[in-house]
Order: sequence, then structure tokens, then C-alpha cells
Amino acid sequence: MKICFGIQTRNSQRRSSLTDLCVFCLICLFCGVSSQAQAPSQAPAVYAITHAKIFTLAGETIDDGTVVIRDSRIAAVGAQVTVPQGAQVIDAKGLQVYPGLFDSVTQMGLREIGAVSATVDTTETGSFNPDAVASTAVSPSSEHIPVTRAAGITEVLAVPASGGFDSGGSQGILGGQASAIQLAGWTIEDMLLKKSAAMVLNWPKFETRMLDRTTFTRNEKPFSEAKQEYEKNVNELTDWFERARHYSQAMEKSTTANFNRDVKLEALAPVIRGELPLLVFAERAREIRNAVEFCEGQKVRMILAGGAEAYKVKDLLRSKSVPVILLPPLTLPLDEDDPYDRLLAQPAELAAADVKFAFASFDNSFSRRLGQNAANAVAHGLPYEEALRAVTLYPAQIFGLADQVGTLEEGKIANLIVTNGDPLELTTDVRYLFIRGQLTSTNNKQQALYEKYSKRPKPAN
Amino acid sequence: MRNAPSFLKKLQHWQVLCFLSLICFLCLTSVATANPPDAPPVILIQNATILTVSHGTIANGSILIRDGKIAEVGSSIKAPKDAQVIDAAGQFVIPGIIDCHSHIAVDGSVNEGSVSVSSMANIADVLNPDDIDIYRDLAGGVTVANVLHGSANAIGGQTMVIKLRWGQPAAKLPFEGAVPGIKFALGENPKRTNFRIPAQTPRYPATRMGVEETIRAAFTEARDYKKTWDAYIKRSDAGEKNLIPPRRDLRLDPLVEVLEGKRYVHAHCYREDEILMLLRVAKEFGFKVRTLQHVLEGYKVADEIAASGAGASTFSDWWAYKVEAYDAIPYNAALMTRRGVIVSVNSDDAEEATHLNQEAAKSMKFGGLTHDEALKLVTLNPAIQLGIDKRVGSIDAGKDADLVIYNRDPLSAYAVVQKTLIDGRVYFDRERDIAGRADREKEKKELLEKEKKAAEKKPEEKKPDATVTIGQKPGEKKSEEKKPEEKPKPPTENETQDKPLESFRVVVRGGAQ
Amino acid sequence: MFSGQKVRCLYGIVGILTAIALFAPPAAMGQGGEPRTFAIRGAKVVTVSGPALEEGTVVLSHGIITAVGKDAAIPPDAWVIDGKGLTIYPGFVDAFTDVGIPAPPAAAVAVAEGAPARRPVEPAARGPEDRPGSTPWRSGADEISLSDKRIEAWRAVGFTTVVSAPTGGYFPGQAAILDLHGERPGDFVVKTPVAVPVSLQAPNRPGAGFPSSLMGVLAYVHQVWLDTDWSMRAQAIYEKNPRGVERPRYDRTEAVLADALEDHVLVMIPGNNSVQLRRALELFDRWQVKGILYGAQMAYEVAPEIAAKKVPVLVNLKWPEAEKDADPEEKPSLRTLRFRDRAPSSPAALSKAGVKFAFYSGGIAAPKDILKAAKKAIDAGLAPEAALRAMTLSPAEIFGVSDRLGSIETGKIANLVIADGDLFAEKTKIKIVFVDGHRHEIREPEKPKDPPKGDITGKWKLSYTTPEGAEESVADLTMEKDGTVSGTITSKRGTASIISGYLSVDKFRFTINIVLDQGPTDVTFSGTFDGTSLKGAISVLTFSLDFTGVKPTKDSSIAATVLGGAQ
Repeated sequence: MKICFGIQTRNSQRRSSLTDLCVFCLICLFCGVSSQAQAPSQAPAVYAITHAKIFTLAGETIDDGTVVIRDSRIAAVGAQVTVPQGAQVIDAKGLQVYPGLFDSVTQMGLREIGAVSATVDTTETGSFNPDAVASTAVSPSSEHIPVTRAAGITEVLAVPASGGFDSGGSQGILGGQASAIQLAGWTIEDMLLKKSAAMVLNWPKFETRMLDRTTFTRNEKPFSEAKQEYEKNVNELTDWFERARHYSQAMEKSTTANFNRDVKLEALAPVIRGELPLLVFAERAREIRNAVEFCEGQKVRMILAGGAEAYKVKDLLRSKSVPVILLPPLTLPLDEDDPYDRLLAQPAELAAADVKFAFASFDNSFSRRLGQNAANAVAHGLPYEEALRAVTLYPAQIFGLADQVGTLEEGKIANLIVTNGDPLELTTDVRYLFIRGQLTSTNNKQQALYEKYSKRPKPAN
Repeated sequence: MRNAPSFLKKLQHWQVLCFLSLICFLCLTSVATANPPDAPPVILIQNATILTVSHGTIANGSILIRDGKIAEVGSSIKAPKDAQVIDAAGQFVIPGIIDCHSHIAVDGSVNEGSVSVSSMANIADVLNPDDIDIYRDLAGGVTVANVLHGSANAIGGQTMVIKLRWGQPAAKLPFEGAVPGIKFALGENPKRTNFRIPAQTPRYPATRMGVEETIRAAFTEARDYKKTWDAYIKRSDAGEKNLIPPRRDLRLDPLVEVLEGKRYVHAHCYREDEILMLLRVAKEFGFKVRTLQHVLEGYKVADEIAASGAGASTFSDWWAYKVEAYDAIPYNAALMTRRGVIVSVNSDDAEEATHLNQEAAKSMKFGGLTHDEALKLVTLNPAIQLGIDKRVGSIDAGKDADLVIYNRDPLSAYAVVQKTLIDGRVYFDRERDIAGRADREKEKKELLEKEKKAAEKKPEEKKPDATVTIGQKPGEKKSEEKKPEEKPKPPTENETQDKPLESFRVVVRGGAQ
Repeated sequence: MFSGQKVRCLYGIVGILTAIALFAPPAAMGQGGEPRTFAIRGAKVVTVSGPALEEGTVVLSHGIITAVGKDAAIPPDAWVIDGKGLTIYPGFVDAFTDVGIPAPPAAAVAVAEGAPARRPVEPAARGPEDRPGSTPWRSGADEISLSDKRIEAWRAVGFTTVVSAPTGGYFPGQAAILDLHGERPGDFVVKTPVAVPVSLQAPNRPGAGFPSSLMGVLAYVHQVWLDTDWSMRAQAIYEKNPRGVERPRYDRTEAVLADALEDHVLVMIPGNNSVQLRRALELFDRWQVKGILYGAQMAYEVAPEIAAKKVPVLVNLKWPEAEKDADPEEKPSLRTLRFRDRAPSSPAALSKAGVKFAFYSGGIAAPKDILKAAKKAIDAGLAPEAALRAMTLSPAEIFGVSDRLGSIETGKIANLVIADGDLFAEKTKIKIVFVDGHRHEIREPEKPKDPPKGDITGKWKLSYTTPEGAEESVADLTMEKDGTVSGTITSKRGTASIISGYLSVDKFRFTINIVLDQGPTDVTFSGTFDGTSLKGAISVLTFSLDFTGVKPTKDSSIAATVLGGAQ
């Protein structure tokens, strides 16, 4: 990461109240635009998209077919589907239909302006906050939502304590619960796919060389010291799980009256019971190995997030069937001697090794680079179909939402996009976008500003 | 190249020719002084789709390179018999990508952040040809970079344009004859809104007002300084004896050069108001702003920028990381272009620089630039902004043979760089890179083995215990361990100098990193 | 038989008499104390300046080498040392260190090297005009500390001479050439100043003030040289006619550096890896100074360029190597591995390119490792003669004192190293080191077999009876945890230091070495320590006499009883 930029994007500890005010105003100013964009007032209940090339991602691609949308669901998909009475027809001749894209790790709605902490709700204080739930803090009127939507992304995971472009590097260990949301809705209830989709675990770092992000100086510590620190953290984590296990047993055995309630342990219980997967952020091979070992020992479901060195442990990941939410392939290699295309080539390598993975931006303002990143992986050997699934079906499967989204099949939620080309390509436009069966505007703050200033008359003189 | 037997035949003798340099080349991700790949004096790239940028696209064209320069560009060029032929059938050739805002190849910090005016600091003093990011960006098609001081100061350090001649010593990096620059910075960074070093006492300026005053004060000083010198020279030329010359001030010298138009101003800026502020100050002191960097609200004052003659070098789609970036729009490049501003798209980051071609492509989607206009954003336009367009930026006879060969249209996310040439030398070759990996791994293994053997000779040093046991309860020994007795003391000059400049990266999750 | 024994006994008495007579303080040189004239006979003499003598004699008198040759005449008053099986080398020179100089004031270091200080120990500089990290007026010669344990440690491995400078800052202070023997600081100084070292170490510390980056450091140093040049010229002009002219301000940094600009002193510029080395080579031209490169561990890549510039080089012998406590899963980069592997080949490369170079100890803490490090350079292709030269004549030449140091030649300072074999051979031990003609017996201190019982540390009053009658002397002992004992024995007539001693369980033994008719001779004190008193025997050659030792309640009483007589 670049020093200079890092500086630009660090959270300020002390902000002038003036700055707060500005931001507040800005947000108010644009709330209007976006909420209007979200749901047209009189939305017809039935749509039919006709003569489209339909990439269902469930079986064959249909070269000239129809998608019927009734209420919030896909009513029918096929070549021979008849258009129902009263349906609003969208002639998609020469256009293509895909499931909406799914960004598996973002801080959507949790962070508006990275450098202004008043607008940031990504990370709680302290290291263990299993009871923090993302959906609570997701702002439905965040300007990031319509901007991201315009890139054809219809679902994201809003993940607390998941870093991001301007995280300043501080995340807790048990960061809280990630929520799967759809990128349109008047309230979070409209948007929610799954309130609690995964428990965030930032696996303790095991590093002898670190970048001090407050001063951007490089620090080194002896291995033994790093190891000791690491083990201390892992032990503390283990202790949390032991206590949570005891607690959930107590919960099962007795009624809440008979034991001391503990909201944090209670929040961990579903993880212990194997109902809620752990979304484990780890980059280095050793950290990944230890995390897998840990989750196996605790008998909890693990999803790896980041995985810059997943290729080094791909066999382990496959054998333990641990899916991966991959760091954007457009990331420089960790080490000087790594091949320059180390992370670009990783997806193809993992696919060949039969490791299931999804792509993610791990950010907000770069969420719209999701397709670009997937395409770059294709350029480096990943089969195109796999890339497409890794931003639609696979994330849905990984987070247990495949029955609702991820493909174009009858009965699934109608989150889909109609494009003039490959949705992963840089120059492709999203012509129509449906979320929960609603034809949803791709207009957004940036487009509005563009239109406004395109019209600015030449200044006199 | 795979479908080019004719080339493969040539390849044999070509391989032999540059076998030695090849070896060095494969090692080039670690040895700065590896000889650069020798180039035969004459190279012919043929059967390529050539995107000249300056005069359209030549399908199935050829480029003849002689002594590092483009000798001829056309659809049918006969290969001189001494020429080494690169068959680029089905491939695309564009001019080398020029990154107008880079921080690679710098030894030490890119910020002299201790003062509000750090114009005495000079990137030219600390070029680091060993920076691995040079090679990584080269592999992304970048051939020229405008290496800038950071944005911590209203007036920052002196900057310079380099060619990414990986494997050559620092003295060979500078772009010959390119006008040197100086970094300015406006807004949140110089006023330290989002960044405060714990131990550092808050620094003037803290507002945009103060930023302006800092710049005006510096240039007022520089103007007086110049007056003093002119007066001295006049008097001593008049034969006056015993004159004490003025004291030279490395802080003011570059500002005088700016006033004399001998040094370009590259100004980091975001908000419309601060952009206009700088243009006013420049007018007041009679210098030109060469480029506005980032200039994310440039679209709001595009006409004023165009009128001032300043170039604009912006991001493709970065936004919202701070307040002054909240109004950033991906249409910025297109909108300013339409209003007559010379626009480039830059990286500000070693990673972003590896796909500037893709970043340029986005301006076709956002704002509808043509294919050529989009390509110009990272080739001819930055060349113009840096005053080097006579030498680079387009594929024209007489220009430097700085070329990038892609496997397909470079304005696509699926395009991959195959070769990057600078001065007619192949500095990056994807096939060579891949072929060389095994050897480098082998050498590394051997050296590690050698070290292990040597270490085993002296038994008193015990190996650190690498085994980590997962899932101990706290209190179970491990966490009770004592900290090692000996704290590492701050390194002495010699100790720190022992360490070669090694790159390491901390993963910060997020798109562009 | 009988008579023989008697003779030996008498002889012994004479011996011990002399022995005790000769506990003479070096202060009393020439008054029956340590002699000032020596002759080492029949040793191999490696002169460095010329061919080696297979069997030669070296004569030293009053700190000077007075004769070198196959059969040089031995003056009658000379103490003759039989050099059979020994090899004589010129004293070694550590070409850049701070041995003999106490640590710099924290301020200088913290500001310059970014030591982890809580807050800047001196107000953060706001710009070059505040002269951050600049103390060039400090001088190694003025800051010698006799209490620096390293003086003896360095000497013990053959270093008779060091080039020492203060540390910390961009202009830490002037380097001086010191011989490692003397009663008071002045005795050490061979020449001062010889060089002004420059450091380019940017602070790795937030809030360091100016400069905070390498760029800033270079800009600062550039400015200082410009200012110095300006001051010189301005001052000269001002002196000619001060009337009506603004007075150039005085700056003590510039005042010192002016000497460098006038080439009176050499400027030492750091550069270790290839990037730094090439940068340094350009700095000589930019600053227009004559000088020396130091560091140079990646010289194997740039030796020809250094040769072209005709700059002498000091090679840091602390070779880069794997950190002891490194992460086994974190493989160093190929670049780093190559550097570690090839660094010791730098001297060979410099030698091949015809660059004049010398060795310095750099960060090496244990002096015994210095020769080992030099040996690594030999293993990496450097000729042993060249390695020796890099520790003797070359540094003398580089610092302009080859007229007095660096080789075994008549008229040069009597700095010698006497070893029992080839310098770089595994088994070789250094026996005697002469510094300015002063003899230092080198002994591998005997280690106690078992851990000590009790602590023998302290001042002991030793009582014994010589043929002359009752006598007392003081043993001032210091014992390490492991039982190793060091210290001095002081009698009426002077002081000798313990060259080897220990306490093993309750058995003590310590040895001093003095010169008798038959040459350097050990006097050994050995016996039992019961926790409160010492009981044992003093033995010289075959003779011995009993003694007892007690700790007097007050040290003052010792002074009274023992030293009283001397006054």
C-alpha cells in the first residue's frame, strides 16, 4: 500500500466539529436522491424480460428467452415462456440477463467516508464483540449503495471489523456478525437477506515484520516475541470458545432464569452449535493452517476470508472443504520473491485444486471493481464460467443463501441484471436492474453530479 | 508467440544471443546490477494490431526499431536481414504506459513531513533501482513514471521523471532531459486533517487558508531571494570587488526555478475551491501549474483548469475515503476532457499502476470517451503533461521504442501484458519471467541450505521453536512464558545498512491495495 | 645434588625477591619497573612493508622499533624474549570504531538515529538552520575514557590501534587515531583529527522534527556543506573590509567542516549496499570533499566503480547474517540471501579492482570475532597477506600515518603482535602485544572447573614473609558469576594486574606476569578461600612461600599499612 495514500485515508482521531457538520449536510443532501432511486412509487407487480440471452447459471444458457418476474420472485425462466397478461415487457433483444452480482465482503452502509469517524460504524472497541450485528448499523441511505448497485451488484455481505481501504488496520478478534443485504430498500428490513450470515473472526496476526500504520514506519520484532504474542491471542480466543461451549450447554439444560445471561457468550452459541459459520480473516499460510486446526478442534464451520497464501494450503482447504472469500486478485504479492502475478494466478490454481471460492472487494468504494477483479483472474487462467459463479452462485452457496439468490431459477428472489455485455468487463453497462422484483434505478450521486456539472455553462471571461 | 514458428526459429539464436543477460534478467527481481537485457540494434515487431494513439490503429502492422528508436511504423515493412523479429500475430501494441503520479523507486520515506515547505528534499537523491515495484509496474506495461514526493506539505519535495529500466543502476533511471518537478499539496493532507503523528506537535497550516498563506509566503521569500542574487550578479559583473555573495538556500532554489519556468509544479488537490486558489496564487506570482494531481473535483471547474493551461491527472474511480473525495466521480476524466483539459489517469500506488490500461478504459463507460481518447489518458496525455511528448507517448517514427505488447485489446480487463520494451530493449517478457521462476526458487533453496549447514557448525545458537499449539487454555504455560531477556536495541548505522532494501507488504484489505 | 638444590633454592630466593621488588607501577617506568627495551629473538617476522624474515630479531626501545633483521644487534640492557616458534606481526588497526570513547549524549543519538525515546530529547529541529544531529566539534581524542573495558578486550586480540570517533548524529564528531595503552587519555592519541565521519541514518521515529526522511537527511547535509563553503568565502571577504558589511554569523559546525573542505581532514561517507555505495560515490563530487567510503559490504557489485573514483574503503567486518531469532516460515528474499552469501567476497573484489581498503569492526561486539570475520573474507577469495594488510599498513596509509604505524620497520611505533603461529590459523594464540613498546602478556584466562563457593570479590590484605622480613600487599579482586577472577596485586613497590584467575568451589588461583632475568615470568597465588580469609602460597618458578589474606574492616587501613610506605 502506498504511504502517501495511506496517509490520506487514515481515520482521524480528532475531527473538527466543522468537518462533522459538513459530512452531515452532505449526507442529508443526497439521501433524497438515493431513496427515490430505490423504489419507484407505483411498481407493477409483473415484469417480463423477453428475447434476452439468459445466463441462468443453473444449467444451459438460453440464447433467446424470457424471464418472468412476479412480485419479488422469478416466476419463470425459459425459451418457451409465455408473457403473462398485464406484465410490463422489457424487450431485451441483443441484451443479456444475469443473476445480480454478490460482493462477499464489504462494509456497505457501515462506513460512508473513511476518514470521518463520525460516518464509520465498522469496528467496535475491544477485541471480542460477537454480539455486534452489522444490520443494526447499516445505513439504508448510504450513497455507496446506489453507486455499487449501478455496477450490477445486487447483494453484499456487510461485514463488521473487516478492515477496508481505510481501516487504519485496527480490527478486533471476534468482530461481530455479518449481515447479507440486498442493495435496495426503504429500511434495513426490506434489504435483509440474512441478519446473521457469519461470525467475523480476525485470526490473530503472526508477524515479525509489521507496518506501524500510525507512523508508517516498519517495525520488526524477534520471532519468539511474535510467537508469544500470537499464542496469547489464540489462547484467549480458545478460552472464549470454551466458555461459550459451557454456556450453550447451560442454555440447553436449563431455562434462562437458572443461569447468568451473558449476551456475548450467547451470541457465540450458534457458532458453537455449528449453525453459524465463522468468517475467518487470515492471509498467511501458517495463520490459515492454525485457523483450520482451531475450527476443526472447536467443531465449527469455517469460511476463510482473504487467503493471500491460500494456494500454499489448497489441499488442506479442499480436504477440510473450507470455502474461501478471496482477496481481490488485483493485489500485489506479499513477498518480494513472489511472482508478480501471484494473486492474479491464485484463483485458477484454487479452482484446479477444487477449492470453492468467491470473489469480494473487501471494501465499499471499490466494491464496483468486483467484476474487474474476477475478469483479471480469468485473464490468468480461471475458466470464465467459474469466475461468473464466484460472484453469484458460489457466495450464495457459501453463506447458505443459494435457495434464494445466485442463479436465475423459478422461485428465487428476482435479483438480476440486464446488460449490454459481459458483466465482468470494464465497459459493460447495466441497462436494467431488479432487486426483490422491483425495477430499480441505477442512478446515483455520481451520475447526478455528472449530469449537473455537464450542464455547467462556460464561465464568462 | 506460441503460434509463430518463424519466430521460434529466430528465437533459438536470439536466446543464445542474450542467454547471459537472460539469466540476469530472470534474477532481476533481486539484483539491481543485473545487466539489462541487451537489445539487438534492429528489431521488427510484425503482424500486430498497432494502436498508435497519435494516428489511429494499424491492423496487421509492423514497427521497425533501430537503436532504441522507432524507425518506421506501417502495414508492410520488410524485415532487414540483421533484424530480430518479434511476431506479434493476434497481439496488440501500444505506446509504453506513463504513470503521472507514482511513489515507486524511492529509498526511504516519500514524505519529508517535518516541515510545511520541504522543497529542499529531492527524489533524485534517493532513487532506489532495487524497488521490486519497478518490475511489477513494468509487468503492467508502465515504462515511464513521474516519481513524486508525498503530500504531507503545502510545498513538498522535488520530483523527477524516470524510465522503468529495471536492472540498471539509479543513475540510469532518470528520463534524459525531462523537466524536473516539485510537489505541492492542498487540502486535508497538508493541513493534517486525517493524519497526526502522535509525538509531533501540530503543524501550521491547519486550514486551507493557511495552506494558501504557506505557499504565498514561500514564493514571496523566493522572489526576494532571486532579487538578492540578481543584484549580486549585476554588481559583481560590474566589476565590484569584495562582495559577499548571497547564501545559497536549497529550499528556495527550486522555487526560483518554478518562477523561472524551469521546474514543473505537480499539485495534489481535491476540492474545487482549493484548485482555483492555487491557480490564483500561481497567477499572482507568475508561474504555471503544470499538473493538478488527483483533482477529483476538477470536473466542477474544468473550464477554469482548461483556461489556466494546467493538465489534470486523476484517478479512475476512487472516492469517499475522505471528505474531499466524497464528490469524486468516475466521469471526471471524461468531463474534463470534453472541456478541453489535457487529462491523464494515474496510480499513486504501485498496485494500481499495474493495470492503468484498465483504469483508462473505464472512462469509455463513464463519460463515453472514444477508444483512442481513453488510451491517451495513460500514454500521450501524461507525456504532454510531463513535457516529454516529443520522445514518448505515441507510436511514431523517431520516438523512443517504449512499447507494450498485449495478448488482446488493452482496454479490456482480460488483456495481459506479454512484453514491455523501453528504448527498444525487452525489459519485461512474460514467457521469460515464467520460465525463470524455477531457477530462482532453486537458487534460493541452495542458499538457504548453505546457511543452514553453516549454522549447524556453531551449535550454541538454538533454533527458535516454530511449533505452535492451537487451543491451549490461558494459564497453560505458553501464555505464562517470560519475554526474552534481551530486547533488540535500536540498530546502529552499520547494522541497518547491512539490510538490503527488501520489500515486504502488509495486506490491508480493500480494492486498490 | 645437594649443592644444586641449594643453588636452585638461593636462585629462587633471588627470584622471589626480584619478583616482589618488581611489582612496579608503570608510572615508575625505567626505575626498576617494566623495562623499555626489548629484543624478540629468533621469531618469524612479518613486516608487511617488506618480505617476511623466517628467523629474525626485532628490537624495541622506548616505544620505537630500533632494529629489525636476521641478526640485528641486541642492546645489553634489552630484555630478551625467545621468539622460537613465534610470529611477529605489526599491531592491528581497527579502522573505524568508538572503542575508548563513552556513549554519546542521548540527545545526539536520539535525534539522529531515532532511538526509541519517549519524546524528542532535544527540541525537534524546524529546518537545516537548527543544525540537527550535528556535533562535528566533538573529538574522539577529547572523549577517551580509560574505564572502557573494550580497550583491554581489543588489545587482547592484537589491536594496538583504533580509529575512534564519537557516534550519533549526521556529523557525530572527529575521528582520532588512538594507541590502546596509556595512563591518561593524552597518552593514547597518535593523531587527531584524522577524519570527519558522516552518517546518513534517517530517524525511524515519529515527530523527529527535521529531517525525518533519508531525502531530508541528504538535503540537510548538502545544505551544511554549502553553508560551510559560503561562510569560508564570506568570512574572508568580510575580514578584508568589515565596514558597512553585515557580519557573517559564526557556526561551530561550519567552523569544523571548513577543514574538510580545505582537505585538511578526510570525510567518511557511509554506503553498504550497491545503491548506497553508488550514491556515496556521487556525494564525494557533489560535496567536493576528499574522503573514505565505509560499510562497503556489497562492494562485490560495485568494486570497479569505486576503483574508478580512486576512493579508499573501510569494510565493515560485521557480515550480514540470518537473525538468531528469525521466523523459520518467513524466508528471506533472494536478494537478502545473496547479500549474506556474497558480502565476505567484497574485500577480494576490492583487492582485485585495485581499491585500497581496510577492515573495521563495525557492530562486532566480541573482539575475538573480528579475526574470524577477516578469515571469512580470506575464505571468500582474499589473499591472507591482503587481509593482514587491511588490518595494518592499509589503514595507516588511508589515514596518513603510514610513516609511524602499520608495519615492522625501524623507526616506527613499537606496536607488535606476537602469536604462536599463523595469524589466521584455527589454533593460533596471541601471546604478547606491544603497544608503544609496552608489553602486554595475553593469556586465555583459566576457567574454574566448578562453580565458586562464596564471593572472593573485594580488597584483600595479603601477608607473607620474605627473606627481607614481613611484607604486605593488597589484592583487589573482582569475581564473575562463573568464578573468573580479575584485578590487581599492589605491593609497596607497585601494581601488577592479574592475567588469569579463578575461584573453583573454595580453591582460588590467580597469576600475574613480571619480568625476571630469564624473561617474563608468572607469579601465582593459589590456595583456599574459607569464605572469610585466604590461605595459600605465592610461587615463582620452583620457589614458593606461604601467605594469608584477610579483608580489613576499612579499606583506609589498607592504604595506611601498604601504600603508606611508598610515600
